[in-house]
Amino acid sequence: MKKRLGVPLYNIGAVLIGLVISASLLLFLKLNPVEVISLAVKKIVSDGYTLGEILVKATPLIFTSLAFAFTYKANLFNIGAQGQFYAGAIVAIALSLALGNRVPQAVLLGIVLVCSFAAGALVGGLIGFAKSKFHANEFLVSMMSTYVVSALMDFLLRTSLQENKAEYLQTDAIAKSAYLPTILPGTRVHLGFLLALVTAVLVWVLLYKTPLGFRIRAVGYNHSAAELGGIRSGRIYVTAFLIAGGLAGMAGFTEVNGVQHMLLQNFNTSIGSFGIGIAILANGNPIGCIFASILFGFLNVMGTTMGRLPGLNIPASIIDLIEGVVMICVIMSYFVRKAAETRSEKQRLKKAGVK
Amino acid sequence: MAAPVEKNKNSANTVEIASSQPVVELSHVSKYFAKVVANKDVSLTVHAGEVVALLGENGAGKSTIMKILYGLYGKDEGTIRIRGEERQIKSPADAMQLGIAMIQQHFSLVPTHTATENIILGNVHGYIPITECNRRIRTLAETYGFDIPVDRKVGELAVGVQQKIEILKALYINASILIMDEPTAVLTPQESEVLMQFIHDFTKQGNSVVFITHKLKEVMEVADRIVVMRNGVVVDTVRRTETNEQQLARLMIGQEIVPSERDEALDFEQAVSVLELDNVSLALKGTSACVDSVSFAVHEGEIFGIAGVSGNGQDELCDILCGSRQPTCGEIRFLGRDITKDSIRSRIEAGIGYVPVDRYRDAMVMDMTLAENMLLKSSFSPVWQSRGFIRQKALNRYTAEKIVEHRVKATGPNDTARSLSGGNQQKVVLAREVDLGKQLLIFNQPTRGLDMGAVDRIHKVILEEKERKKAVLLVSTELTELFELCDRIAVMYRGRLMGVFHNGEKTTAEIGLLMAGVSDQQEVRA
Amino acid sequence: MVNLLTRAIMMSTPLLLGALAEVYTERTGMMICAIEGIFLIGAWGGFVGTYLTGSLIIGLLAAILCGMVMAALYGIVTVYMKQQQVVTGTALNILAAGICAFFQRVLFGVPTTPLQIATLPKIAIPLLSKIPVLGPIFFQQNILTYLAYVLIPVAIFVLYKTSLGLTLRSTGENPEAVDVAGLNVNRIRFLTVLVAGAIGGLAGSFYTVGYLGMFTSGIIGGRGWIAFAICFLGNWNPKGVVFGTLAFGLADAVAIYIQAVSGHTIFPNELIIALPYILTIVLTIARSNLSVPAKLGVPYAKEN
Repeated sequence: MKKRLGVPLYNIGAVLIGLVISASLLLFLKLNPVEVISLAVKKIVSDGYTLGEILVKATPLIFTSLAFAFTYKANLFNIGAQGQFYAGAIVAIALSLALGNRVPQAVLLGIVLVCSFAAGALVGGLIGFAKSKFHANEFLVSMMSTYVVSALMDFLLRTSLQENKAEYLQTDAIAKSAYLPTILPGTRVHLGFLLALVTAVLVWVLLYKTPLGFRIRAVGYNHSAAELGGIRSGRIYVTAFLIAGGLAGMAGFTEVNGVQHMLLQNFNTSIGSFGIGIAILANGNPIGCIFASILFGFLNVMGTTMGRLPGLNIPASIIDLIEGVVMICVIMSYFVRKAAETRSEKQRLKKAGVK
Repeated sequence: MAAPVEKNKNSANTVEIASSQPVVELSHVSKYFAKVVANKDVSLTVHAGEVVALLGENGAGKSTIMKILYGLYGKDEGTIRIRGEERQIKSPADAMQLGIAMIQQHFSLVPTHTATENIILGNVHGYIPITECNRRIRTLAETYGFDIPVDRKVGELAVGVQQKIEILKALYINASILIMDEPTAVLTPQESEVLMQFIHDFTKQGNSVVFITHKLKEVMEVADRIVVMRNGVVVDTVRRTETNEQQLARLMIGQEIVPSERDEALDFEQAVSVLELDNVSLALKGTSACVDSVSFAVHEGEIFGIAGVSGNGQDELCDILCGSRQPTCGEIRFLGRDITKDSIRSRIEAGIGYVPVDRYRDAMVMDMTLAENMLLKSSFSPVWQSRGFIRQKALNRYTAEKIVEHRVKATGPNDTARSLSGGNQQKVVLAREVDLGKQLLIFNQPTRGLDMGAVDRIHKVILEEKERKKAVLLVSTELTELFELCDRIAVMYRGRLMGVFHNGEKTTAEIGLLMAGVSDQQEVRA
Repeated sequence: MVNLLTRAIMMSTPLLLGALAEVYTERTGMMICAIEGIFLIGAWGGFVGTYLTGSLIIGLLAAILCGMVMAALYGIVTVYMKQQQVVTGTALNILAAGICAFFQRVLFGVPTTPLQIATLPKIAIPLLSKIPVLGPIFFQQNILTYLAYVLIPVAIFVLYKTSLGLTLRSTGENPEAVDVAGLNVNRIRFLTVLVAGAIGGLAGSFYTVGYLGMFTSGIIGGRGWIAFAICFLGNWNPKGVVFGTLAFGLADAVAIYIQAVSGHTIFPNELIIALPYILTIVLTIARSNLSVPAKLGVPYAKEN
């Protein structure tokens, strides 16, 4: 039990250290970090809308972090969540434009949800297939797939999906009936956030309570023992990537139907890589992904808020800096924890003598 | 070469005998790993021109103490003196500087590089004149009568040749203290003889050799002095001329081996044959067959042993039997049914249990709990599922029962496999496999690297399963184990069965010759 | 057409440098997954150094230094702390983006017009540049391109003809053998990563100092990853890397050419942009496991 508590404690400690380090960088701007931060936090807390933005920003991150965490459990690297997200977004916008005002909202959202999951799953599944059938390096293939899907998106934005005015590389806005309903009045927090929470819990259940999840984890820890246990790792690779791709695809759905209500070039370019960072922060735990995503959502809003503080001239990009520093601190904490454990174990042995 | 004999294993200050100062002197060295004490208070000496054997069971700490001397591990306590001077050996580079070389049990060669490249690695600076280097290595090899294809990739060469390359690495740096870790483990008896000859020649020139082994015969053949280790400590140091195999065995094991009781040899011809192999062969790409036309049958209630030096196709045979590899030709029948093309899973479900040789790699998921490890091979079975979920409570209860039944030292089903000692891990694997293997159990070296207590327990379980009329196939490199347990013994050499014998029909010596590939007909020529 | 190819060679320069950096480290078993970040910080360092001092040479040195600092951090975490390379790389890429954008603001505030620096001059090599067609394509480039030309044969020589190369190649194949031979595996890996950081930083600076003359946060736009992919495609050897780079450089140039000639109407430009990535995927699938260093991505850990 002690060990299980240890991981989150080290993680939280690392996050705090990371925050302190990055906040002190404000000194470079000749600002007092404590003052600026308390000012920004006050501003966020005092304003319901801004508070809600934290959850809005966290929503797609929960999906993309799950997309990385899920394959990570099978010891695979899905670096392509960005592309799978785009695939989901393309399908979401195309269906929403086509079906908007034609079918009831609930039906439409249901269809779009399933199809955007399928679109992401298709992209992910192909990567998994390349891995299991050809032993291709999934890291490289998934990374490259993002660029391909992104080019496809650009192509569609320039051609069949382009807005009626044909001026910018973007689509028309979708009909109101295709919106994901807002769940907190006075904010932009939409149903997608609840969907993300439910999904994370479902992913946790799948991984830890079902035979399939057991098999995925077994392959991830030791594929050779799993194989001898009758588990076909090739199939697991495809399955894991299918599901992971689908999860990232759902982010496309919630972003298009819940927030942007249209699709445009260079849409949310960094949620894929942030997803990876969040998954690491959460040590691959789906429930942890929720909290880490909300933390990143908070940092995101914090960055924007600080940027808007009058007269201080803080770049919103400080957010990347904070997130980068926090991630490195967390990664290092894994090393520190292991070293500390080994050390105390050794001390114990030294005292105890021969077993 | 009057090497002083240390009778007192833990003497605080080693008695210096003026006539011969030890080249290597370890005093009170201890080493702790994350979970185990590898060495505790180890003191030993090596003199010039001497062969010192480090004798002990697997896991006795022989390799570790020598890796400390070679700088691969750092010591936690104690001192090392080389030629009288205290030295801090922080890396193999320091050791090599002092004329120490070590050949690892698993060779440290780069398979994709040539013999020359492997030998000069780390001992060459700047531009490499490759033809010149090849010539130099060839000359060096010739002075010791080695025939080495210097420009062939090492991965393509036979194990015996690879070992010669390892020796050449030591000779290339003019090492005067050569440590060899289980050098004969992969060699045929003939190759071993060549090696022993080399050791004699090498020490005659005033060099020293430390020979790590767990084989008593070799010790008596090659060593001048024998340091016996057990559980990380030196239990005694004796001169070869003043001891015998029985005494050494006692020192090494710490207790007399009591052979488990065996029924009179039964006649199994009438019994149902559970497993039948018919001309099973496996040829990997570009190599000669590693399993070559193997045929035999294992009957209900029979323990069928396969003897052989490791690396003669036993592992591949087991792969074929469990289904992880397809044979190139031949047929496998299980209870009369052809299962040659069956998947691993359907073989598990048919009732074949399998304990693979590499527990870490193939039998357990070290980061999962014991309960999860019990589930590993039945994740598809409806027994542990209800409505699509794992029946965790039932699984935990079952695991807890097995922990008690097999006397696994663990706190409960939620312990991770990694937290257990090797012997207890193997008991967990055994518990799972004997339950799964309702008809047939396949063991590949089930006791390798375990302490005597665990070995005993595993032997008992195997005999119990025999009593339950299961068929058992036991692959082992230890003849004593096979003679103790088996009803029939086959000898495997270079992928072929050299014959199948009833236990008692042949002596250990005769089986040993077969293991070396000398069959009755060839004996005349040899 | 000549213009197009000149441009293709020019745009290939940073990719080639980056891929060579990866070849060195991956031969020792280390993927540099922070290559995107190293490119970016190199680009930024080059820009800042040049802008503040007015000296291109100091700019290039600053780029090298920035790349090395980034690589050092990567090396400490992956080599000595033995953490996952992919994961650490991702974190550092985000961090690099943050550092560049933040300190850009710290140093320059919000300028009303984009800050510009002079770029590296094109140097025409005497005689060689006069060769028809080939001259302008290959021998009227800037110093970084020439450096890339030189580094190819140097890499071939170092990797296959010297003790250093033998050590590097052995480290990626069997680090234990290297350890037993008395060489320090972790130090070898760390130093190689540092060198790669220097080359990578220089490669990144090409985009600011060698080409655009200004810095934007999206200036690298995934090109670091392309260099990473080229190393795989090039089968971890310098010659292969040259061909891989040319494929990417050419596709890039052709895309621009087609866009210039026909606009978007005739041929989907995006397809050509995507072509190198598709090519990478296809080749990764087709030639998987060709001669990947046996211990690529695996930290060297012995019990202690």
